[in-house]
Amino acid sequence: MRRIGIWIATGGLLLATAACGGGSSSGGGGDAGAPKSQTLSVGFVAEPANLDFTSTEGAAIPQALLVNVYEGLVKLDQDGKIVPLLAEKWEVSPDRKTYTFTLHDNVKFSSGAPFTADDVVFSLDRVKADWKLKIKSQLDVVDKVEKKDDTTAVVTLKKPSNGFLYSMATRLGAMFSRTGVSDLANKPVGTGPYTLASWRRGDSIQLAANPSYWGTKPALSSITLKYFKDATAMNNALLTGGIDVISSVQAPESLQQFADPNRFQTVEGTTNGEVVLSMNNGRPPFNDKKARQAVRYAIDHKALLETAWAGRGQLIGSMVPPTDPWYEDRTGDYPYDPAKAKELLGGKTLNVKMRIPNLPYAVASAQVVKSQLAQVGINADIEPLEFPARWLDQVFTKGDYDLSIINHVEPRDMGIFADKSYYFRYDNPEFGKLLASADSGTEQEQTEDLKTAAKLLSDDAAADWLFLFPNLIVAKKGVTGLPKNAISESFDFTALAKQQ
Amino acid sequence: MRGRINAGLVAGGVLVGLVVLAAVVSFFWTPHDPTLVDAARKLREPGGGYLLGADKFGRDTFSQLMVGARTTLYVGIVAVGIAAVLGTPLGMAAGMTPRGWLSELIMRVNDLVFAFPALLLAVMLGAVYGAGTLTAMIAIGVATVPAFARVARAATLQVMVTDYVLAARAAGRGRAAIAVRHVLPNIGSVLIVQASVSFAIAILAEAALSFLGFGTRPPTPSWGRMLQESQELLFSTPRLALWPGLAIALAVLGFNLLGDGLRDYLDPKLRRIRAEG
Repeated sequence: MRRIGIWIATGGLLLATAACGGGSSSGGGGDAGAPKSQTLSVGFVAEPANLDFTSTEGAAIPQALLVNVYEGLVKLDQDGKIVPLLAEKWEVSPDRKTYTFTLHDNVKFSSGAPFTADDVVFSLDRVKADWKLKIKSQLDVVDKVEKKDDTTAVVTLKKPSNGFLYSMATRLGAMFSRTGVSDLANKPVGTGPYTLASWRRGDSIQLAANPSYWGTKPALSSITLKYFKDATAMNNALLTGGIDVISSVQAPESLQQFADPNRFQTVEGTTNGEVVLSMNNGRPPFNDKKARQAVRYAIDHKALLETAWAGRGQLIGSMVPPTDPWYEDRTGDYPYDPAKAKELLGGKTLNVKMRIPNLPYAVASAQVVKSQLAQVGINADIEPLEFPARWLDQVFTKGDYDLSIINHVEPRDMGIFADKSYYFRYDNPEFGKLLASADSGTEQEQTEDLKTAAKLLSDDAAADWLFLFPNLIVAKKGVTGLPKNAISESFDFTALAKQQ
Repeated sequence: MRGRINAGLVAGGVLVGLVVLAAVVSFFWTPHDPTLVDAARKLREPGGGYLLGADKFGRDTFSQLMVGARTTLYVGIVAVGIAAVLGTPLGMAAGMTPRGWLSELIMRVNDLVFAFPALLLAVMLGAVYGAGTLTAMIAIGVATVPAFARVARAATLQVMVTDYVLAARAAGRGRAAIAVRHVLPNIGSVLIVQASVSFAIAILAEAALSFLGFGTRPPTPSWGRMLQESQELLFSTPRLALWPGLAIALAVLGFNLLGDGLRDYLDPKLRRIRAEG
């Protein structure tokens, strides 16, 4: 009998996942009522391994530091537009190969060193020379970077590229001080509105307002980024007042806990994350376009979003999120039509392997997909694989799967379909041509080409797009300036404030 | 004549009987398809053909519980089967050669396996060979082997010094014959009790593994995964966690009561006390 007691106690712990996620208290940290001493704490799920995003992969580092501590010449605004930051303005030469950036002239790094065109040359040359990330190849198109005078930097490209300026808005364009890169992993030095105050590993990072910031000074005196291993613990921390903001809600059904408008506010925006039902184009049965089309017709996307992800998110229909300039609503390409799906299959029954990562959205979506595919005669055997290691090995690297479900979070990532060794094994030379001509054409040509490319993907049924992953933020009432859309690499704190 | 039927035995029998009944009936009939997703029935309240309501996928909770009972029993039977088939002969061998090197080897390896947490082993196997009911059952079964081996060895040691075994040995009976004719029938009752207790542990282990995502694969219903899927709705729709939780608790209670009851029922010493009193 003793055993029961112990086990039930363990079960209770598991279920409750305890309110012990609390922690640092929020609220006025200094003089009561003084608006400059306001602090906020924000909950996140993944902690950075270190603070050096030039040599360490992982979304958590730029999420915390980019735009907040480090700034680039340009940044992405909430609508996905590229707007000036450290550069007042920029000019593009008629051959679209030379970019002339005019810099703000009163900018200082947090170390006190002034920011000049020399730092632009230094930072961009450093990407080529010292960065250790794969994505640095995005700047391979840069031929040379030169200083014209202290506030003018000129970048020359090898060929016209529309991707260049966008890359400059990511971590690749972050500006470093020539004297501030000795200990990037622990001591970031940037020009941003916040500086690193302290880092308690495994718990939190504290950012303090930069007193010598060149632009509009932040409304808060400090921000604490609190890291949680578990989404439930993070929810409980907000409920009990341990944090002020949940940066991203991991279980949308749990939003009902925060329904009280007198205490909480929920912000729903978009992300760059397309939840893709990938089909292996390289082997039977899905090397047959008809079989892939049947899958697209067989899925009731609206019902899927409603059940698997509480109706949060957006239906897309191709590999483009609504915040990209070449977005078109492609949800009408394959309306829910199980009769047509059966017809395309020609009365055949298919047995396929659905090998998914063991992540909540994938496991939930897979069960709906399986149930809906069964209606048209496709039997999908769901096999959740441990993520990332086993899923990456089996599905992503070896391509041993028929169906899978994964959220492709990278921004402007339609290009992955152009690589026929990528795990989709999609092979249509026409698509690759469209993408190449898009990057070298004018902005208008780019938009047109990419629209055509997205339509081609959809028509070919290269995959199925289940939904666009929503950005769900929950905050205490009175917190303002929350970044609605998560479409850049950073969680932008610059406008964050708290009303008393 | 064995001992008297006691209340624990009856209660345990009834609870276990219910689980078995639900599992058997689920092969022929469930009120609804337990895996059919239907957005129109999302989080449907109990009533109108949906006895316990539906979950966020619109799947009938009662049907899921019934089919989940199948998973539970399946796991219990296979895991305990593995443990009994491997553990009993090992324990008997160790018990019949108490001072030999074989006994030492068996019991030390036993200690080694015993020191390894069952859930950890299952999670490890799941990560390497892929999560699934079978992996979970094998892991739980292997981890339960030491429990059987120890019980079998202790009981065998007692049997080996009884007059009838000594007589058999004096008469020149071989070890195998003694093991089958004399030892096994006399340690049987102890093993049955151990089996029912291990069964309860296996049920909990499967539920815990499915809760963690290393057990039964979706969408096959499992009580543990039902609990996990209801986690995010714990505050808004607590009944989704209540029913599978209750099912697990009652099934485990049932097997434990059955084990206790069987021990009392089969134990000759207790029987004598009862007869005297």
